[in-house]
Amino acid sequence: MTYNHDLAVLSVGAIATIGLYTILYRENRFYRFFEHLFLGLASGWALVALWTETLKSLWWDKLVGASASDGNSAAMGYWVYIMLLPIGAMGYMVFSKKHNWMSRIPIGIILGLYSGQQFNAWTNRYIPQMAGTMKSIIPTAGFFKPDPNALNPALGPVKGDLYGSEALNNLIFIFTVLCVLSYFLFSFDVKNKLVKSASLMGRWLLMIGFGAIFGTTVMMRFSLLIDRMFFIWIEFVKQGLFHLK
Amino acid sequence: MELLAQLAPKTFWNAPNGSSELWVKIIIAFFIGIGFFIGMMNVPTQMRRPIVFTVTFVSGLFYFLFWIYPAPINKAPEDAPRNTLEAFSFWISDSQAVVADLTNIIASFLIGLGIYSLLRVHLGKIKKQQRDWQFSVVLIVSMLAMILFGYVDFYMRLDPANSKMAGSGYVGWTFWQFGRDLLFNGLLQNMDAGMFSIVAFYILSAAYRAFRARSIEATILLVTALVVMLSLMGLVEFYWAQGVDSAHLSNNFKLDNVARWLRGNVQTPAIRGIDFGVGIGLLAMGVRLWLNLEKTGSAS
Amino acid sequence: MATLDPTPKSFAEKLQSVPKPVLYLVLFLLAALPLFFPVKLPNKPIDASIDFYAHLMQLPEGSKVLISSDWTNSTRGESMGEMEALLRILMRKGIKFVVYTTADPQAPQVARDTIRKIADEEGKAGGYRYKPFEDYVILGYYPNGEGTTSAINNKFLSICEGKKDWPENSPPRDVLQSPVLQGIKSVSDFKYLIMVTASSTNTVVLERVTKAPLMFMVTGVMVPENTTYYASGQLKGLCGGVKGVYDLETLMEDGLNVEGPHKVLSEKYTDVIPGFPGKQNAGKGNAYYPSLHFALFLLILAVITGNVGMFLSKRKGA
Repeated sequence: MTYNHDLAVLSVGAIATIGLYTILYRENRFYRFFEHLFLGLASGWALVALWTETLKSLWWDKLVGASASDGNSAAMGYWVYIMLLPIGAMGYMVFSKKHNWMSRIPIGIILGLYSGQQFNAWTNRYIPQMAGTMKSIIPTAGFFKPDPNALNPALGPVKGDLYGSEALNNLIFIFTVLCVLSYFLFSFDVKNKLVKSASLMGRWLLMIGFGAIFGTTVMMRFSLLIDRMFFIWIEFVKQGLFHLK
Repeated sequence: MELLAQLAPKTFWNAPNGSSELWVKIIIAFFIGIGFFIGMMNVPTQMRRPIVFTVTFVSGLFYFLFWIYPAPINKAPEDAPRNTLEAFSFWISDSQAVVADLTNIIASFLIGLGIYSLLRVHLGKIKKQQRDWQFSVVLIVSMLAMILFGYVDFYMRLDPANSKMAGSGYVGWTFWQFGRDLLFNGLLQNMDAGMFSIVAFYILSAAYRAFRARSIEATILLVTALVVMLSLMGLVEFYWAQGVDSAHLSNNFKLDNVARWLRGNVQTPAIRGIDFGVGIGLLAMGVRLWLNLEKTGSAS
Repeated sequence: MATLDPTPKSFAEKLQSVPKPVLYLVLFLLAALPLFFPVKLPNKPIDASIDFYAHLMQLPEGSKVLISSDWTNSTRGESMGEMEALLRILMRKGIKFVVYTTADPQAPQVARDTIRKIADEEGKAGGYRYKPFEDYVILGYYPNGEGTTSAINNKFLSICEGKKDWPENSPPRDVLQSPVLQGIKSVSDFKYLIMVTASSTNTVVLERVTKAPLMFMVTGVMVPENTTYYASGQLKGLCGGVKGVYDLETLMEDGLNVEGPHKVLSEKYTDVIPGFPGKQNAGKGNAYYPSLHFALFLLILAVITGNVGMFLSKRKGA
């Protein structure tokens, strides 16, 4: 009997998936076995990929350089890269009672670099959104926008004019942003009735956002389950075991 | 010769691959690094906070300047600066890539922290033979197996004699390649997918038990969620549209049009409002971290 | 010994107390059974998916795109379908690509396997079989996403320095020597930066990359957030979840504004953008969409049942 690697990969995958699904019945040792197996393999792979996908090329190869071979060019070694090792090692002092402050040096470098980027990040992320919120609310044409499909196709889509219905939509858009923002900004006790009403509306409108998030989250979670069912029933049973198309 | 022509010019900071000069410099630098490490261990207590503050502040300042200082436009590698202002602009632009590189390396070293912590917990459990210590053995053995198969496979593939392994159809594969594939694609990847898919059952159960229209807020949430879920179902959308006259105003009440209106005019601005709120928080947190004002931050 | 509840449950109580195992079993069956009976369901692609498709299809042959592949099998149900649809379009259009990841150490290997699978599938179907290093390059994993992404925008080639990838039947070589990277000096030389992501790396890219247009392929849970970026024009196209994958597969089969029984119309695009009729367009979107209908229907039914039960008990109480 010859070794069928494809089937072996499918089989262990199916057994492991079923092993994890036993948690739906109740907490059991079969599940705990696969849970620990998963953690072990994931952390093992993290250590493999850390070297093979990152450190070897970004650190070691730059440290020692390379000689020209197999179509690759030669590269000088930059000895100063070795100095990063003690800086990285400082992170491990977190386990020392006496010197755990040292771990804050590499973490401080990363946090500092992260925080310094926030200004740039903020402008790139939010300025276009602010610009996108500045919508026109003054109509330039009638209320109803004509159906573009009913127009002469040669004319193409309706462009330029802002119809009353579109202006109303824009108003709703701006109103929603302002109400939700006021809900966040005026979370303390406010006496002004207008602000209070805006905050209340903001809370309700926020629920529309959360409702949409719930709907799409459900789609995601169900898709992941359907994918597992596809793996077990179609890839493993139908195609793997019974060789059916 | 053409390949050698690409070699960077020799400076104090580099040396050719395999040369004794390079290895001597690496060893000396390594010992200087250890000396620095030991020196830090003996830093007086009152100096610790300023050191961490300085490191964090200077790191943050780099990216702050990178953002605020005019960046060179269409700079070619051979372009030379005309004055100090331009020299600084060139320097900060060129060094950003190096800083990113160094941060990747330091972050990589720190990823090992989590693994080290995991090992400490589970090795301790095995040593003390605590309850369910056998599962800790499973974790350690599977971790070691993945490391062994992962590294052996990687280094075998680096050998020019094994270049066929990278192709399709398991050509040239040995025990180590099959083992690595079985552990990675057979077990790890499928368990990764399995773990995350279990939530589907819980979400159904939770929605059935807790998703009730008990208040105005909950009712709005429920109705929106239902409209969004229905709009994700093409079949429902299709049959809904059958009952609507496309040439009439009622065309607006087709499910896809209702969902599109809701998405474009209420859902998007509502989430944009949340995002603006988050943005203010993120910027404030960034400034607090940079200036070490965060109580639980790096310098406390 | 357990005692039995002497009072029988009312109808309203029964509606609210369907046992958990029953719910689980029904979901299990509804998710699995439709997979055995694949059917093409009617679909109307949303604007964001149409934009995603149209922008890709309008790229001239020989263009290059940068792909951030930030997903692993934990979201295989959505991300793999997205990646496969994207790869089919790119390979059929002859667009070369560079892949990198900042999300997960597993991601490069998962991307490598997926690309090889689709390349083999396209090759077997008579098309050109994409070769590693020649037609695509995988740069690997960068743990510091923020710094790396800034470097991508500032000086793209710096993140390639020192990186190696495997050509076919050859030991690893410097990626800078790959034909894919020839002519690339800056990220702006890529027509698009396309993210296939299941994590918060979407905002990292959005906040830092300004020199290349962005298009995202995200998981369902990320759709509402990313729709705001699409609405503000920060994203040129967006494909979200299984619905997004099914939208792409529909467009690949039926095209855009192409006359036929399943004509997909767009107000925004007046041109006819044909798909790839007769080719393997059906992927995970086609496979999972019917099951998704049943599963969503079950959830809607469960929520309505629970609420009806609550209202009936309230009326009874009043």
